[in-house]
Amino acid sequence: MTLRPPPSRRVGPVTRTDIVRFAGAGGDFNPLHHDPEAARRAGFDDVIAMGQFQAGVLAGFLTDWVGVENLRSLEVRFVAPVRLGDTIEVSAKVGSAESGVTQISLTASAGPTIVVTAEASVADPSS
Amino acid sequence: MILLVRPKEVKVAGIPIGGIVDVVEFTVEAGKIREFARATFTEDPRHLTRELATATHSVVTGHYRDQRDFVARLGLAIERIVVGSVSWQYSRPLLAGDRLVATRRVEADLVRESKRGPMRLVTLATEFVDQGGETALVQREVLIERPSA
Repeated sequence: MTLRPPPSRRVGPVTRTDIVRFAGAGGDFNPLHHDPEAARRAGFDDVIAMGQFQAGVLAGFLTDWVGVENLRSLEVRFVAPVRLGDTIEVSAKVGSAESGVTQISLTASAGPTIVVTAEASVADPSS
Repeated sequence: MILLVRPKEVKVAGIPIGGIVDVVEFTVEAGKIREFARATFTEDPRHLTRELATATHSVVTGHYRDQRDFVARLGLAIERIVVGSVSWQYSRPLLAGDRLVATRRVEADLVRESKRGPMRLVTLATEFVDQGGETALVQREVLIERPSA
């Protein structure tokens, strides 16, 4: 099977509501992600998204395409923070395939800034 | 950014390698699957109708943990921590109704020199074991404690 990546996915502009919704979904109540004063004390202008938010957006883009049951591994590296108003764009490149498992590289960017990079291995649905 | 000086095991306050950080028992809930899918803009309709969890659903264990407590027990300064990376290895996807026991252990605890001083890197590995005693997935996260100013 040859995987062909779908068009990139754009999510945003990221709102305070998006961040709070994810906090409620995942249970991350670090004030950095909902309290502007806490964010300022940490050196940011306002709250930032938690890394797991952009990881979840990236993973959703991937599994909507390949099927979550075929995902064998996913490794996500957090490169830069996602701020309010950022639009996240996620895209994928298909790498090598061996023994029914395909390697996929993913990137999430906010404008010109890469915020997350990821590597995934995906099993051929027929294997 | 990171100078790759030979890493070394640290002897600082914390939990020894292989030591348990915390254990969480929880049930994968259909409503939480939908909530998490919506919060991550995940569109596969099976998250709504067939109760198949999203890839990073294991993150919901945050609801059962005390972030400040485990960070303190690891001997880390919470205001200097960033999460460098997270990975998941899957045996199967999670389904609504799964009863899971998630045991989180310290897998590595290293110090690396950087331009601004020593940085501590703590790797935590969480094994999610299902009601049949099988490992459904393993999640790893690398916590980075930045140098103190």
